Amino acid sequence: MLSVEHISKSFFRKQALDDVSLEAKKGEIFGLLGPNGAGKTTLIRIINRIVEPDNGTVRINDALMTRKHLENIGYMPEERGLYKSMTVEDHAVFLGRLRGLSKHDVTAKLNYWLDKFEIGDWKKKRIEELSKGMAQKVQFICTVLHEPELLILDEPYSGFDPINMELIKSELIRMRNQGKTVVLSTHNMKSVEEVCDRVALIHHSKKLLEGRVADIQEERKEGLYAIRFRGNMIAFANALWAGFEVVDTENPSDNLFIVRVKMRGENTFDDLLKVLIGQVKIEAAWEVLPTMQDIFISIVQPKLTEAV
Amino acid sequence: MKNSWIIALREVKERIGSRSYVLFAIFGPLIILGLVYLLFVFGGTEAEKWNILVTDKAGILENKLMPHPDPNVTYSFANDYIEHDDFAKGKRYQQYDAMVEINEKVLSNKLSYVFYRTKPSFNLQAKVQYQVERRLEEVMIQRFTDLSVQKFREIKQPIQFSFRNVYDPYDQTSDVRTWVGFFFGMIILAFIALFGMTILRSVTSEKSNRIVEVLLASVRPQHLLFGKLTGVGISAFIQFFIWIAFIGLGLYLMREWMFPSIYDVSSMNMAELTDSGRILSVQEKLYAGKEFNTIVDLVYERVNFGVMLTFFVLFFIGGYLFYGSFFAAIGSTAGTENDGQQFILPVLLILALAAYAGYYTVANPESELAGWLHYIPFTSPVVVMVKLTYGYAAGEAYQIWLSLIVLLLSAFFCLSIASRLYKNGVLQFGHRLKLQHLFKWLRK
Repeated sequence: MLSVEHISKSFFRKQALDDVSLEAKKGEIFGLLGPNGAGKTTLIRIINRIVEPDNGTVRINDALMTRKHLENIGYMPEERGLYKSMTVEDHAVFLGRLRGLSKHDVTAKLNYWLDKFEIGDWKKKRIEELSKGMAQKVQFICTVLHEPELLILDEPYSGFDPINMELIKSELIRMRNQGKTVVLSTHNMKSVEEVCDRVALIHHSKKLLEGRVADIQEERKEGLYAIRFRGNMIAFANALWAGFEVVDTENPSDNLFIVRVKMRGENTFDDLLKVLIGQVKIEAAWEVLPTMQDIFISIVQPKLTEAV
Repeated sequence: MKNSWIIALREVKERIGSRSYVLFAIFGPLIILGLVYLLFVFGGTEAEKWNILVTDKAGILENKLMPHPDPNVTYSFANDYIEHDDFAKGKRYQQYDAMVEINEKVLSNKLSYVFYRTKPSFNLQAKVQYQVERRLEEVMIQRFTDLSVQKFREIKQPIQFSFRNVYDPYDQTSDVRTWVGFFFGMIILAFIALFGMTILRSVTSEKSNRIVEVLLASVRPQHLLFGKLTGVGISAFIQFFIWIAFIGLGLYLMREWMFPSIYDVSSMNMAELTDSGRILSVQEKLYAGKEFNTIVDLVYERVNFGVMLTFFVLFFIGGYLFYGSFFAAIGSTAGTENDGQQFILPVLLILALAAYAGYYTVANPESELAGWLHYIPFTSPVVVMVKLTYGYAAGEAYQIWLSLIVLLLSAFFCLSIASRLYKNGVLQFGHRLKLQHLFKWLRK
């Protein structure tokens, strides 16, 4: 769907992007990760033709991107604004018409979205009368009003309350299921794990990582397993023999423990379970995968340290 | 370009819907009309209303002075002699502002006293003197000659020497009229300053609330800038036409209702009417009907509004685009709104200099500097308006078009620079604008 090839961009003497390539496929949610100043927003602006790249190309469905493609893109920037004196309806009509919709189409689609978000009463309200959360919903509606095939959201959750965040997440997943492509730039690693199919990590203007979320976690796992059990911690420790190593322990309540264990030698998860069954009452056991937060920090932190 | 139009329409809608725009549309023309009204009232005609008692013991005037009432002077007659001391103190005379004494021998001694309570203006003194004189003249013609009043006055008519400019033999230009041109020029500058600031505010507010990034994802920066300038320009024009309509209607109503005497023949001096074709003496000019109010005459008779408004519109468009590009460029490149206001000061200063250039042209229309200012795009909108009122000689009409072309070319040049700065600057936030930024963005 979206293919970014060898994009470089510098502002005066500062390199914002250095030979960045990535691909967001049709029907997937693609996460663009990176610390502040990494170049994410610049890349997004280049995709939206707001900024011209020094080198490289952007392709949409294998064709070189033109301004015509913008009609099929929905873009919600990180720092997004609305005209305060306009009504919700006027605002939607204005932005919808800029994206190629007729006034009639905008009105119909706006009604659909307002009903969906249960905010039909706001239609004639001026933006300045809305709370921040309300305005953010309106911003999202204006972004998706023209039913774009490609949705680009820069920090879509910033400023959203948890309820609105869930609402947006579920909408993104629904759009993905409809075959639309969503590119989102975010610092919210939990949401990356929840909604993103694939991610790319940009740091210091370079792409350091790209792939499926599950694959990346799989690649970076450390052979850790967690056991949640009821019983005696001493009995648990005695049951383990030299083939396992307790990494850390949590004791959320009396007799309830969550212990993370690392295998030694050729031992497997099956071996671990075998030695524990009968010694403690196992409630759950799972393989511990690194969170995206951990992966993000593990990649970015050393670089930051180097920079210092 | 379709998107530019959508942007423009939004700007128009927002501007027209704003309270300040509506207030300006209503009170702007009202203020102008108020000033015009004051000029009408005080600009030539008497503000005072005088109640005059004419003492005419011999009944020489036959208790009449004017065939029709004068709007400023009311005459009452007393066929008696009244001591000026009685007039000053007597209760029954307090209603009169002045007393004109027509003594019994006035036809021979040609002496008449006017006792006033507060000194009348020169024009009112002249008017009373004129009216009494004219009446006495009629009486004398009747008593001492066989001539008709009209014939007598024809004979009496002195030879009038009229000094005229050989290049303007019909006195089509006058200092007074050039002030109308200056006024038109000032209106252009005022609208440019006002709506230029609107452009600045519009751009900076779009920057500060960040909607500009959403817009740029759909619209080219140049189209966004063009749409914005067009929208604000259209709203300026709508404002302007509202002004024209209000002021035009106001002037019409003033002429029809408030100052009907200005053109109402019945209120003119009859003698003046009968001699309408003749050239008036200097004394007569002070109060004769057609010279009754130079401002009224100027507004209703001497300004060619068709030509003035046509070039007003053309030079307004040119000036607006020219100066508007500066406002837009500053708005888009400024990091903060304060920054924008700081950088707008030089532009406002240039506008003030343009206003002075107009004043200079009024004072020195033929000077070499005025000739240059006529073509410089910063000053041409106001200077051309002034020069228009002086008139262009037959072979010099090209000058106004040349000035317009220079202005429009300069406007398009500045717009191309502004759109380049706009494109590169509008997404830069929070920085402190320096000249080096502008040069860098221009090079990009």
